[in-house]
Amino acid sequence: MSDKLKQIINKQQEAQNNSLIKAEEVVQLVGFIIGDEEYAVPILSIQEIIKPFPWTRVPQVPKHVVGVFNMRGAVIPLIDLRLKFGISAKKQSDETRFIVMRDGDEVAGFIIDRLTMAIRIKKSNIGPAPESMHGEDTMIDGVGKQEDRLISILKVKKLLARDF
Amino acid sequence: MDEFQEILQDFLVESFELIEQLDQDLVELESRPEDLELLNGIFRVAHTVKGASSFLNFDILTHLTHHMEDVLNKARHGELLITPSIMDVILESIDLMKALLHIIRDTSADAGIDVSECVKKLDKVSSGEIADEPVQAQVHVKEVVEVIAPSKEPESELDYENMDDNDIEAEIERLLKNRQAEDKAKRDSKIAAGESVVSLDSDEDNEESGDFHVPVVVAPVHVPPVQTTPTPRVSRADDESMKAAAPAKKEAVVDQTIRVDVRRLDHLMNLIGELVLAKNRLIKINDDVEERYEGEEFLEELNQVVSIVSLVTTDLQIAVMKTRMLPIGKVFNKFPRMIRDLSRELNKKIELEIYGEDTELDKSIVEEIGDPLVHIIRNSCDHGIEIPSIRLEQGKPETGTIKLKAYNEGNQIVIQIDDDGKGLDTDMLKNKSLEKGLITEKEADQMSEKEAFALIFKPGFSTAAAVTNVSGRGVGMDVVKTNIEKVKGIIDIDSELGVGTSMKLKIPLTLAIIQALLVGVQEEHYAIPLASVLETVRISKDEIYTVEGRSVMRLRHDVLSLVHIGDIFEVERILDSSEHAYVVVLGLGTNKLGLIVDTLVGQEEIVIKSLGDFLQGIEGVAGATIRGDGGVTLIVDVLALMDIAKHVKTKAIPEGSSASAQTSLEKSKASDYKVMIVDDSKTDRTIMRKALEPLGITLIEAGDGQEALNILKQGDHNFDAMLVDIEMPRMDGYTLATEIKKYNRYKNLPLIAVTSRTGKSDRMRGVESGMVEYITKPYSADYLSSVVQRNINFKSEF
Repeated sequence: MSDKLKQIINKQQEAQNNSLIKAEEVVQLVGFIIGDEEYAVPILSIQEIIKPFPWTRVPQVPKHVVGVFNMRGAVIPLIDLRLKFGISAKKQSDETRFIVMRDGDEVAGFIIDRLTMAIRIKKSNIGPAPESMHGEDTMIDGVGKQEDRLISILKVKKLLARDF
Repeated sequence: MDEFQEILQDFLVESFELIEQLDQDLVELESRPEDLELLNGIFRVAHTVKGASSFLNFDILTHLTHHMEDVLNKARHGELLITPSIMDVILESIDLMKALLHIIRDTSADAGIDVSECVKKLDKVSSGEIADEPVQAQVHVKEVVEVIAPSKEPESELDYENMDDNDIEAEIERLLKNRQAEDKAKRDSKIAAGESVVSLDSDEDNEESGDFHVPVVVAPVHVPPVQTTPTPRVSRADDESMKAAAPAKKEAVVDQTIRVDVRRLDHLMNLIGELVLAKNRLIKINDDVEERYEGEEFLEELNQVVSIVSLVTTDLQIAVMKTRMLPIGKVFNKFPRMIRDLSRELNKKIELEIYGEDTELDKSIVEEIGDPLVHIIRNSCDHGIEIPSIRLEQGKPETGTIKLKAYNEGNQIVIQIDDDGKGLDTDMLKNKSLEKGLITEKEADQMSEKEAFALIFKPGFSTAAAVTNVSGRGVGMDVVKTNIEKVKGIIDIDSELGVGTSMKLKIPLTLAIIQALLVGVQEEHYAIPLASVLETVRISKDEIYTVEGRSVMRLRHDVLSLVHIGDIFEVERILDSSEHAYVVVLGLGTNKLGLIVDTLVGQEEIVIKSLGDFLQGIEGVAGATIRGDGGVTLIVDVLALMDIAKHVKTKAIPEGSSASAQTSLEKSKASDYKVMIVDDSKTDRTIMRKALEPLGITLIEAGDGQEALNILKQGDHNFDAMLVDIEMPRMDGYTLATEIKKYNRYKNLPLIAVTSRTGKSDRMRGVESGMVEYITKPYSADYLSSVVQRNINFKSEF
């Protein structure tokens, strides 16, 4: 009887351990579309996702820095990722969103075309960025493979870095 | 913090407070050497510092203060009269003491300063070698003591004069004990408050510093007043009766103060800022609601609530602002000493009169204005006030007077420094600046009186014929301008030759929450700090002239440079602006600038928020604020704006994106530059062509104004400049210029008049119609070529 109990307990523990290992291996991402590509950033770096609202233009900055907006009393820069990635500007639609990302003290809002979904992806399914995009400059942290599609995972630190 | 550190902190805070008062007392002492009250106070400072420093093992400091104490003790007993030469020695020793304290603050040790020289001098003084008229002094002091002493020290009824050395030691012992008890209480209360306390010196602290017997009552621990010999801080008032009355009053009302960490106040200020923003928003919403539900009953209630909230917020803001305020006397205190030193050094007789030292200013600003004031006062002493013999010759009193005044004026505080010296000589200032290459001859000619006065603030300017220790190194006044501009202040100089100079520094009360003027350009809004706005003027567009590629207008008797806010903030001109524009006249330091805007929106209280790291360093933007409607409005950095305006030549304003694409085409070869020659005479056209052909630029010719206008209208070419004859059939040069300027796209096309008309009125007409240059026939080919090159920004490397 006690042997059986032990076995059960062991099994339960094993299962628990397994799930823990699994959790460690899985990365949670939020996917979104810019142009024709799907990108993703770690869910923990996202402070919030909001519907677009008016912003104020700021002079003397590159085109992709469209301005600043007010998020509950804080003045936050707003960056259009289409322009940043060299895609021509597009009129905002119902699906356009601002993703506010944070890394330490750095906060900025990013305009994206549309959200896709929250993605759980195994670490083992994330490959390095393509050869041609290696180096310090790349914004791509890695490429996630999921079923039939490829998702570029972006470096939040790089996105939030002042690039002008 | 370990115990030693804590004691050290206390010691330093204490000592610096004491010393601040000391300087003032010492200078006063010189004019009234027999004032026992002052002497006692000074003696006790030296004694306190000595006691504490020996306890903390600062041997050098102890050594120095011990000898100071000797001298002061003798003076106190009437064995020594304080003469100017003795005072010099004492002041020197106090300077050393200060230096030592600074070293202790920075390194926690008192090494590195040699005091032996000074100690020797002090010894000489105390042994009577330097003393001048000791006998006379004796009598003098005795007399005064009889009058003053009894009334001064009612509690203890101690007469230092009649005490022997032992008694004095005992008295000192007792004082020290009181002091220790008091220190302990202070420390206890700090421990109770649970943190290290950064000193925020307030009015009350000052008073205590001259008089450490009155205990500091620090909440929450209550310290009962210790019965001691209260010696009131001697104010400038010479009224004897007031002095006598002071101790009793002091005993009754002890001002309650509490030391608070500055960071806490800053945090509080930030919170208030948020509240102000929320208030603005509430008011806006209230207005909207009022509009929509007119006549409803609940509106009145809402109105009441909103107005109460807004009222309380405003009061709260003022109250918090006041906690950060320090009396400007903190800064003024050091000047009597400075004047004294300077007048001795320069062999001049100078008197300093101080008014309004109780005027209060934000702590951060008080810290910034010290240096500028030092420089201004030094300058007045050195360059302003003449030496006594010259003053007498000119029928002025031998002693020069410098008046230092502080007072409130609206939302600003004004610090005024007047001297009755020789005044500023505009011609001399101009010549000096020319000599040093700070301005051009042309600038000198056009300069108004005020602009000439402002020359003294130019970097590298120095008017003193000989460089003295005091000033004339050509750095000082430049610093004044920089520092005053840093706190968004305005400098106003007035001077009359031979009568004196008056300088006014106008400084905003606080920097965090400010009044701003909101202006509109196209569909955007910007906030301009109201402190920098002198006035606003509505003008019609023809009042704007272009001179050498820069816009100017006439404002009463001055010529004001203009810059369009759209040029600075790269605003796209989509809307057709009306015939009228508004000019916001900005003033900062001594500079003025007219900022052209489309509309004036109104005045609003705004809270300055940083744009953050990502967007830091954008020229011309000081930060952002959140408006009542929740939108973000950028705040104009007036100082940076003035800098930018110097470089902004009214840029080409592109009309739509296609035009901008064309005009922004990079010039890669000389033939990319296009210049149109408009002249009815074939010969003249050929002469011009010959002169310009060597440059390799593309030249297009037109026979008269109408033809030229047609070429422009077709838009096949993008011209970089036009050479225009004035006398032409069909359409003359003036009309052509006026027509061209109607087009947004050609507004900034340089038009160069080439004509034989040389009259002044012709030139004026040329400027009015928009010509930027005026070349009179005959001209040399080189001259024409150089004028054209300059106007098209020709790069010669091709």
